[in-house]
Amino acid sequence: MELEIRNIKKSFSDKEILHGISFKVKSGQALGLLGRNGAGKTTAIRIIMDVFRADSGDILIDGKHFKADHYKLGYLPEERGLYPKRTVWDQIIFLARLRGMKKSEAVKNTQKWLERIGIPEYASRKLETLSKGNQQKVQLAATLVSDPDIIILDEPFSGLDPVNSQILKDIVNELISEGKIVIFSSHQMSYVEEFCDSIAIIHHGEIVLSGSLTEIKREYGKNRLMLSAVNYSLKELEEKLLSDFSDLLTVTGKNKMVLILTKSQKTTSKDILERIAKSDIEINKFGIYEPSLNDIFVDKAGDEE
Amino acid sequence: MKKFAVILKYELKEYISSKGFITFTLLLAIIGAILLCLPRFFDLSKFTGVQTNSQNTENDVLQDDSSETVDSNIKYALYDPKGIADIQLLSQYFDGAQFIKTNSGDEIEALVNDHTVDAGFLIVSDTEYEYYIYNNSIYNKDQATFDEAMKMMSRIRYCQQHGLDINEITQMYEPQINVKEHIINKDSQQSYGYCYALVIIVFMLIMFYGQMIAVSVTTEKSNRAIEVLVTSTTPNSLLFGKVIAGAIAGIMQSGIILSSILISYQFNREQWGGMLDMVLNIPSNVLIVFAIFGTLGYLFYAFLFGAMGALVSKVEDVSKSVSGLTMIIMLIYFFSLFQLTNADGIIIKILSYLPFSSYTTMFMRVAMGSVSIWEIVLSFIILIVSVIGAGMLGAAIYRMGTLRYGNPIKLSAAVKSLRRQ
Repeated sequence: MELEIRNIKKSFSDKEILHGISFKVKSGQALGLLGRNGAGKTTAIRIIMDVFRADSGDILIDGKHFKADHYKLGYLPEERGLYPKRTVWDQIIFLARLRGMKKSEAVKNTQKWLERIGIPEYASRKLETLSKGNQQKVQLAATLVSDPDIIILDEPFSGLDPVNSQILKDIVNELISEGKIVIFSSHQMSYVEEFCDSIAIIHHGEIVLSGSLTEIKREYGKNRLMLSAVNYSLKELEEKLLSDFSDLLTVTGKNKMVLILTKSQKTTSKDILERIAKSDIEINKFGIYEPSLNDIFVDKAGDEE
Repeated sequence: MKKFAVILKYELKEYISSKGFITFTLLLAIIGAILLCLPRFFDLSKFTGVQTNSQNTENDVLQDDSSETVDSNIKYALYDPKGIADIQLLSQYFDGAQFIKTNSGDEIEALVNDHTVDAGFLIVSDTEYEYYIYNNSIYNKDQATFDEAMKMMSRIRYCQQHGLDINEITQMYEPQINVKEHIINKDSQQSYGYCYALVIIVFMLIMFYGQMIAVSVTTEKSNRAIEVLVTSTTPNSLLFGKVIAGAIAGIMQSGIILSSILISYQFNREQWGGMLDMVLNIPSNVLIVFAIFGTLGYLFYAFLFGAMGALVSKVEDVSKSVSGLTMIIMLIYFFSLFQLTNADGIIIKILSYLPFSSYTTMFMRVAMGSVSIWEIVLSFIILIVSVIGAGMLGAAIYRMGTLRYGNPIKLSAAVKSLRRQ
């Protein structure tokens, strides 16, 4: 299956929130839907879930018009919430039945998921009596209980301790390997890098970057190198490069460890390495710069000013 | 439809498994039933006017032994310097109360003050007396009774002075009149009591459950359960499930309480001497119209309450959001009660067709006025159509309001936004 969002536009009270966003995700793949707060991610998700209708644009599944109620969808919203006064068991069964499961199936799956997330003993407890992390796990069970084909996880890791995060990571990996479509929205880029084959960055209601994460990284790292020296601090090294290497490269950035360099036209890495070898710079690190998703995100969705 | 049933079941379970609901329902049902059984076990003859067999014998014995008093617990002090009063007559007027003679107004005051007597009278002349009481209550009839006794004593004295027969004169002034009633249509006197009770019951149910539905919708918004719910089913199923679950819970609750009271009353009716017929012996046609119009009126308002709940995000804002609706319900309630004795009046006639008010005014007309079948059917159709309309409008507002957080949405803004869609 391939889910394709094509040129979706949506306005609220005459203000356009989404200006024509498009992205694709296939079965057995996870898409990282990224964006700053208020960028339009949740609106996009709600349009996929058919909570809102798009003003224009299409949602297609395998090239055909996608109808949310024809597929089993699992949605873990960023704003968590179930019924605090009802028992864990009652509400998971309720949501499973609401998504069309038979009673026996709902009971079986609820049991299975409570065991999978490690809280079967809390089945008859009221939700409000559980810790925040366990409530989060109940919400995850409620999302997955109906065995959905398309799973949308909005900030699934927030509030989880490292052990619970590991359980969730395993579950997400299982879902991907079972061939589900997973849309994963998070601000924690390390998780996105871990699971997602492709990403789509929404900024002010527009997709500013989308595609395969590997390709994006490769594209981003093109013509870029990283360098640090044993005998120069990054600042000293930057000054040195500016004075002696300006014909070969420009310094386009730095992080804690290395300077990021962009090669000038027709310059090769070999040229730069040879020049460094002739200088007094004692190389600590030198290589092709591979940007982290965080760098890419900040670059694309950071403030322009 | 299947999802609606799932929601209905889930919501209904919420109501009927709540300890508050169970306790309140059972407590009222049991208290009602027990209160109505009281005359079976205790002497309530003073209240009901009916004596049970055992009580009759007991009183007979009392009266045989002493013809003097039935109730001698109450004591009055009396200062009668001119010897005007007839103690025996006074005692009869005051249900056999005891009159203690004193020698001055001060003595009366002292006796009243230390609670030796309940009250005191100082007779100044044939037509003037002073009354002493420690704490006066609004139900105190001492003065009215004493006035009557003074008048009677004055009449007796006049008759004696002029050689007249007091019995003859009394009979002439107050001849015994016998009447046989032939009520062709409605007996308003009979219907007034239960109508009053039913108006209050339906009002309380709508207010209570309406508020609960509004709060329940807002709670789902505030605890964000709505995010998952609206992505799992349609807003229509959600609102209809919620409202109809509330209706069933309300009907169950009032049904249990009312039937417990009615059954207990039927069982003990003889002991009550039928004195509660006015409130509890409700004709079946009135009950049917009450049940149908009450339920539909309830649904009509419940949908609107649900929609109002969706317009706000915090539970503390609910009362403000539903204030318009509660105002309408209160106005209808007061109009109904004020016009209860005027069920054929133009105001009630108009109100009995409007969906906002027919739930209470139509059964009033059936019980207390004259109404033809076509009028009931027409009002019923108007109400049904309005309930469906309110359901659709409610669901539309609910759908629009559920995912809008932040400041409360004004109803006018909500309707405008719906029109745009």
